[in-house]
Amino acid sequence: MKDSDVIILEEPKLSRADQFYLPQVLLGLGTTMKHMFNVVVRDKHRVLQYPEERREDLPVEKGGMLLNSYRGVHRLNKDEEGRVKCVACFMCSTACPARCIHIEAAESPWPDREKYPAKFDIDELRCIYCGMCEEACPVDAIELTHVYDIVGLTRQEMIFDKSKLLKIFDETVKKEPM
Amino acid sequence: MANIPPWVLIALIAHGTVMLTVAYLILLERKVASWVQDRLGPNRVGLGFGVIPIIKNWKMRGLGQPLADGLKFFVKEDYRPAGVDKILFTIAPGFMVLVIIISIAVLPWGGTRQAERIISIPPGTANVQEQARRQLSQGDEIVGQPVPLGGGQYRVTYQYPFQIASLNIGVLYILAVLSLAVYGVVIGGWASNNKYSFLGGLRATANMISYEIPLGLAVLCIVVLFGTLDLGQLVEKQCHNWAVIVPAWNVFSQPLAFIMFLVCIHAEANRAPFDIAEAEQELVGGYHTEYSAMRFALFFLGEYAGMITTSAICVALFFGGWDCPGLRGPDALHPAVTTSFIVCVLRAVVFFIKTLVIIFVFMWVRWTLPRFRFDQLMMLAWRGMIPISLALLMMTAFVVFAFHGNTYTGLGGTAALTLLVFNVFTALLILLISSMIPPAPATNRRVTVIGSRYAQTPLPNGG
Repeated sequence: MKDSDVIILEEPKLSRADQFYLPQVLLGLGTTMKHMFNVVVRDKHRVLQYPEERREDLPVEKGGMLLNSYRGVHRLNKDEEGRVKCVACFMCSTACPARCIHIEAAESPWPDREKYPAKFDIDELRCIYCGMCEEACPVDAIELTHVYDIVGLTRQEMIFDKSKLLKIFDETVKKEPM
Repeated sequence: MANIPPWVLIALIAHGTVMLTVAYLILLERKVASWVQDRLGPNRVGLGFGVIPIIKNWKMRGLGQPLADGLKFFVKEDYRPAGVDKILFTIAPGFMVLVIIISIAVLPWGGTRQAERIISIPPGTANVQEQARRQLSQGDEIVGQPVPLGGGQYRVTYQYPFQIASLNIGVLYILAVLSLAVYGVVIGGWASNNKYSFLGGLRATANMISYEIPLGLAVLCIVVLFGTLDLGQLVEKQCHNWAVIVPAWNVFSQPLAFIMFLVCIHAEANRAPFDIAEAEQELVGGYHTEYSAMRFALFFLGEYAGMITTSAICVALFFGGWDCPGLRGPDALHPAVTTSFIVCVLRAVVFFIKTLVIIFVFMWVRWTLPRFRFDQLMMLAWRGMIPISLALLMMTAFVVFAFHGNTYTGLGGTAALTLLVFNVFTALLILLISSMIPPAPATNRRVTVIGSRYAQTPLPNGG
């Protein structure tokens, strides 16, 4: 590398007024005052009051979010008779790259299948929401919903068991049919 | 009750007000910050804190936020890193607050109140005046002679200043005390046993020392004009009108001095664009990096209370203090003297509102301007502001001389106009001179490639 290879960018030369600072300072203060005026008087701000206003309620052009392809918390689907659809084949937990699905299979009480999950726990903190479980499932029992605001106060609380996953199904089935 | 000196009550109320205001200034600061950035700012915590029934769901535009913040500061762990100087580490935040608190003492809140009282003095007392003075509370000054009403009763007219301490060297006191505030910063930085904190402390010192000079000179411009250092009197002498409608505030006659002063108090308060002492990006918070919980809150308190004090001084010197049409006393020669207690309180309110306006300017500037680099900061002080304020001081002295010292009793319209003309003249002169002085050496010099780590090793045959 030679000196001639170096591209030298000079600082822009300050005009006499710029060197006196004040004119530019006043211009800057004018800009910020304009913004303050817009927010305080004309109520033109860029804030979403989150729990009350949600991005999915807005059109995409106005900063909204499309939920169609959003992968949120899981649910365990039920069949027409209200039984859990899962057949405890372990496909999802095998496919899971985060190893967050823990299933314990048991003999099925129903004649139409051999096994059913006695326990079905998903650690929602470990889950990376990739949707591989959904794709691996041969009976469309596990699905990812569009619910994204799940919270808990402890780690234990965030391990969702079978009843909770079924409850999520009940809550979301109207909005997102199977 | 009768013998509690009025300044004790004023001190209690003034300090209470200032301390409470500090909490709400922090809310205002956050609000201003968000408004500038097109946000809304904290607006969730009401005064019910989600606990108190009935009002627990009222948000009140975030009015409870400062109190919640304060509570958080109290219950947080007061962490002290290993290796700090324990005594200094504890002293520093307290020192900062102490300095600011005692500087509130000389603020002229409301002029002078004149009152009357009937006092009984046993007959045969030789020195009635002295006897009457003993029965009044401390700080009261008797005006004229006690009027005998018969039967050993006297009517005494007395005055007391509506401020905590009516020092006749008020301006000097303020300058002296405010420059002590840097000790809090330096001690905090030193005691933290952290190189960034220490650097922050050092920078604060250099900053304060540099800007103390133009600050003092700008104040001198006013002091020379009125021939007094008493803040109360400085305010009183601004309490009349020029050309009937223009209030005789110094900001109209000495705009350049006002700008100097405003810039200097920004530097003095260690706030943006002069906040190199705590520059987050380079010093990780500067002198208060190692502080947490209440100690940190005290530093914060010091900073904001300092803002209140310096803004109040600015108002007293340049915006006529409590002066407001309708609140001047009946006597044109002594407009500060009033017999009404309500008027005194209203004056204090006016004073405070003016102070809040200046504080808003502080915040407005902070969220507008980027921080100065250290050399730019020093250059602004030593090459810019000190010469300008010196020229301004000479100009003011010349005006005082030309008007034969008649400005001491208050600024007449002619003198004010002359000063204004001279201010503009000084500004133009500075523009002219600044174009003639050679430019400062470039600070970010380019290093040639040869010798740097990008250089190729030159071979003997030139290849």
